Amino acid sequence: MNIETSGIEMILGGSQILKGISLSATGREFIGIIGPNGSGKSTFLKCIYRVLKPTGGAVMIDGRPLEQYRVKETAQKLAVVSQHNYYNFEFSVEDIVLMGRSPHKKTMERDNAEDYRIVEESLAKVGMLDYKGRVFSSLSGGEQQRIILARALAQKTESLILDEPTNHLDIKYQLQLLDIVKKLGITVISAFHDLNIAAAYCDKIYALKSGQIVAGGTPEEVITSRLIRELYEVDATVRKDEFGMLNIVYHPLHVRKGEEA
Amino acid sequence: MKRKLDLKNGIVHGTPAYIVAVMTLLVLLVLSILTAVTIGSVDLSVSDVYGVILYKLFGIGDPDVFGAGAMSDIVWFIRLPRIMLATAVGMGLAVAGVVMQAIVKNPIADPYILGISSGASLGATAAIFLGVGAVFGSNSIGICAFIGAFCISLLVQMTANIGGRANSIRLLLAGTALSSVCSAFSNFIVYIGGDRDGIQTVTFWLMGSLAGAKWENIAVILPCVVVVTLFFCSQYRILNMMLLGDDVSITLGTDLHRYRQVYLLVSALVIGFAVYSAGIIGFVGLIIPHVVRMFFGTDHKKMVPITALCGSIFLIWADVACRTIIPKQEVPIGILVSMIGAPCFIYLLVRRSYGFGGERS
Repeated sequence: MNIETSGIEMILGGSQILKGISLSATGREFIGIIGPNGSGKSTFLKCIYRVLKPTGGAVMIDGRPLEQYRVKETAQKLAVVSQHNYYNFEFSVEDIVLMGRSPHKKTMERDNAEDYRIVEESLAKVGMLDYKGRVFSSLSGGEQQRIILARALAQKTESLILDEPTNHLDIKYQLQLLDIVKKLGITVISAFHDLNIAAAYCDKIYALKSGQIVAGGTPEEVITSRLIRELYEVDATVRKDEFGMLNIVYHPLHVRKGEEA
Repeated sequence: MKRKLDLKNGIVHGTPAYIVAVMTLLVLLVLSILTAVTIGSVDLSVSDVYGVILYKLFGIGDPDVFGAGAMSDIVWFIRLPRIMLATAVGMGLAVAGVVMQAIVKNPIADPYILGISSGASLGATAAIFLGVGAVFGSNSIGICAFIGAFCISLLVQMTANIGGRANSIRLLLAGTALSSVCSAFSNFIVYIGGDRDGIQTVTFWLMGSLAGAKWENIAVILPCVVVVTLFFCSQYRILNMMLLGDDVSITLGTDLHRYRQVYLLVSALVIGFAVYSAGIIGFVGLIIPHVVRMFFGTDHKKMVPITALCGSIFLIWADVACRTIIPKQEVPIGILVSMIGAPCFIYLLVRRSYGFGGERS
């Protein structure tokens, strides 16, 4: 699938959060968006998945502007896993995942055997098939997030938007979740906090600061000591490990003081 | 160890447990109607009671015995209408409760949460003290209450939509605010009116009663409630999504805004009918959905039909209790439902560690 944004602008409560963001994702690309808190990562992703309407610019999906699709159609094309998923009611895991089938359903249509098959298949993909009958809210954060991913998979979309989905997850679940996503081989746009993880999974990374893209390219091109300094005002060393993976090591203030002394 | 029947996901002889439950409850509802009609302050034999019903429905039996007279009137014009009204009101309130809880995304919501009861009270108070709605004739209180309830429900929606789209929080705030305005005006009217009889009428009316049941009302209300219930049965997917919130629903392909408005209007209609014919009966719309949720889970595909039937059955028996608990006197149903229902609910809450989700108690 092809997602393209051109000059996305967003003004919220009088301040300009996004100042013309253009990027594109095609085919099986895994796109990462990095940037400090408040840089506009989430806002930008929300413009793509239609929770916010950009004040300027356009989002094109497969060459057609987003507004020309019905909400249902976009939900058939892109699924979303975001960070906050707390529900005030007791749903079973199966109920939650089954909701992923709703973009494909007419208002009055009942769920059929095919839907239940897809639910099981999606749960199996995230390794949570045994949890089908459990109450969603009784699961751990990592398990819940995998269920939400299963719901997104049940939508059977050609692209996935991840809005810091691995927040609050321990490292095992972070890697597990992203491995599952990487294996799907679909278009992915994801916001990241952890640069090491972003570098490990992304084909392309865009760095956002104050609502603008300050750098874009492969992880190696983008993630440099200079850029980290610019984005986060933190000193870091970027090197490659024996597997050829980027490895970012930060220098906290007390360590640097030690060096100087 | 005995294996517990899993009502949430279980399967009984190849049919999902909830469908079996719906069938069982349907049978129970019919049995409840048939049993409740034989119970009352006047002692009538079971065969006489069914004789009257059979004659009235199908013309079977002796017209002189079953077609006219005190016995026939008691069964056909007093008991049966009450029971049918209980069926309709119980179903309507229970379903409206489920829908309200979904719309405002809050498990403590009841059908009256968005100011509908205050609006109805204001309407009733105005009718009783100021004689508003005298043109409507004998049932002016009910009609004014209906108008009050419906208008407030529209006003709440309009207010919540000012300066942005109505979401559950804005609806709740608008409901609470308008509800206080209505209560204040009702109290003002009562205070200025200073009419003792009027105060008693209002109080009595607010406690709720099914005694005013008439066939011509039931002929409108019952079909209406059944149609609305079936409508909400078909909307289970959207009701489920409402609990996940607006943002998640958009990513799942549904913009809830429009649905919320339609659901609110439809519920207001049903609640208005209930208020019109039976005053304000609290608790049913709050508790029945919770009890059903405890046993069957939150999925509205199961919730809506089961809640509807449970609401009917519950109110039929509550009304029987009202008629018989104190000899020669009637207890207002609103009081009885809360007196019996609340402790039962607390018992269930304590026993089953039901936490509405999230934190478990």
